[in-house]
Amino acid sequence: MECLLKFDKVVKCYSGDTRALDNVSLEINQGEFVSVIGPSGSGKSTFLRSINKLIPLTEGEIYLDGETISDKKGRALRLCRRKIGIVFQNYNLVYRLSVIQNVLHGRLGYMSGLKGILGRYSEEDKHKAVEILEELGLEDFVYNRASDLSGGQKQRVGIARAIMQNPKLLLCDEPIASLDPSSAKVIMDMLYDMIKRRNIACIVNLHQVDVAKKYSTRIIGLSKGKILFDGTPDELDNATIEKIYGRGLEDLMLGGSEGAR
Amino acid sequence: MPMPKQTAEGLRYNKKGKISVCCKDKNMSLVYFFAGTAVCAVLSFAYLDVDWLKLLSRVPSVGEVFFKLAHFDFGMMDLVGEAFMETVSIAVLSTIYSMVLGLFFGMIAAENIFRIHILSVTVKSFFTFLRAVPTPVWVLLMLVCMGFGPSAGIAGLCVHTTAFFTKSFSQSFEDISTETIEALEVTGASKVSVFTNAVLPAAFSQLIAWTGMRFEINFSECAILGMVGAGGIGYVISSNIQGYQYGVAGIAIFLVFVFAFFIERLFVKIKSLIK
Repeated sequence: MECLLKFDKVVKCYSGDTRALDNVSLEINQGEFVSVIGPSGSGKSTFLRSINKLIPLTEGEIYLDGETISDKKGRALRLCRRKIGIVFQNYNLVYRLSVIQNVLHGRLGYMSGLKGILGRYSEEDKHKAVEILEELGLEDFVYNRASDLSGGQKQRVGIARAIMQNPKLLLCDEPIASLDPSSAKVIMDMLYDMIKRRNIACIVNLHQVDVAKKYSTRIIGLSKGKILFDGTPDELDNATIEKIYGRGLEDLMLGGSEGAR
Repeated sequence: MPMPKQTAEGLRYNKKGKISVCCKDKNMSLVYFFAGTAVCAVLSFAYLDVDWLKLLSRVPSVGEVFFKLAHFDFGMMDLVGEAFMETVSIAVLSTIYSMVLGLFFGMIAAENIFRIHILSVTVKSFFTFLRAVPTPVWVLLMLVCMGFGPSAGIAGLCVHTTAFFTKSFSQSFEDISTETIEALEVTGASKVSVFTNAVLPAAFSQLIAWTGMRFEINFSECAILGMVGAGGIGYVISSNIQGYQYGVAGIAIFLVFVFAFFIERLFVKIKSLIK
């Protein structure tokens, strides 16, 4: 399989000596569905956000599609960034605008200066946006204001916007942390289907170990900025989970059927 | 009913034996503020040496003047109407020109758009300097440059209004959550695109509110500016009061009041529609 994303000895230090990412090296291939688990403060968000340089690195290199991204700036960085879609925990839509306008924002990286500034999207893009919304079951909400949607629907718009970018890699920063269990399942199912259909690689930060086990092809366990586990969901046994979270299973609320006790 | 005796540890009681509910670390800034205000009041009072008795003896004449003003004299209505329309036009133009300029400079001054700290600070400090000088002074300066008439009024008002909009708009832009901006930046959109597609629509209702408020201020400023020679209703008011034509001045003042009230109601309505 083709290597899409490569971390080479990546280190990220915040103020002082705390290492949010400590010598992280890994490769992610096309079409993989990777879940990143770990306790709060383990560096999950830093890991995800460093990929498209929302956070500058302290040391090391990140390669996307064979190109380094960590040294890019300005226009070159924007060209790299449009290959990476991000889905946020808090959706981060522009709530005053319509659903389709929010989805079309995904095209801004492809539009030349003035067209992008004035928001003049092509008819082709508009058709594509509607198609994606249909795929996500939002066809009745195309012209609704984003603020009028429910949490689950907002997250679907968030996914649509990211997919609209035509990304090679999709990053999801705790996409279901603000949702109720049933919306969360809908979102994970949709995410999974869309990724599969388009053969996009996907990295998801998750708090729910059972969800990670159910959907991923690969799980990465982070603790204190280090990779403690990197393998298939089957290889993730209870002892490893305890090691990642630094607590006994009886002190963890894992949820679902597998983790329940 | 007596308070139930609390024995829980850590509870604090005031002098009367009641449970105290304020924060552990007392914030002293409020106390300093009031103390400072009191000191300033006493010092100003001592410095100005106001003759309160004389002031009180003149109070009845306030009623007298208002009584005279209330006897409207419609004889010079055409002149008053013309001056009034001139004032409205100056207010409208100065607000619109400044709004366009304010959007541009507000974008540069907002810390979260271009993220160039030195640029924001430079723009902000420059406009703070412009705002520190009162509008009538700017108008007087413009009068020197451009000669008497409405164009000097517009130019002078624009200086101050642009400075005001730059500050208020940039604050509205900075209120937009960085997460939303981030969400568009990661699509590879340019900074100006992010501004026009996300920040501007999100801040829209606030911009309307600021513009409405400033239009109201500009209108009343215009009334003052006439007195320094920039034309408009202010000139009518000041010249007629100086000439003891209270009836004419009364109409002019009444028009100003009605119009200002009308603008305020209008923008309250517009704002509720935009929400």
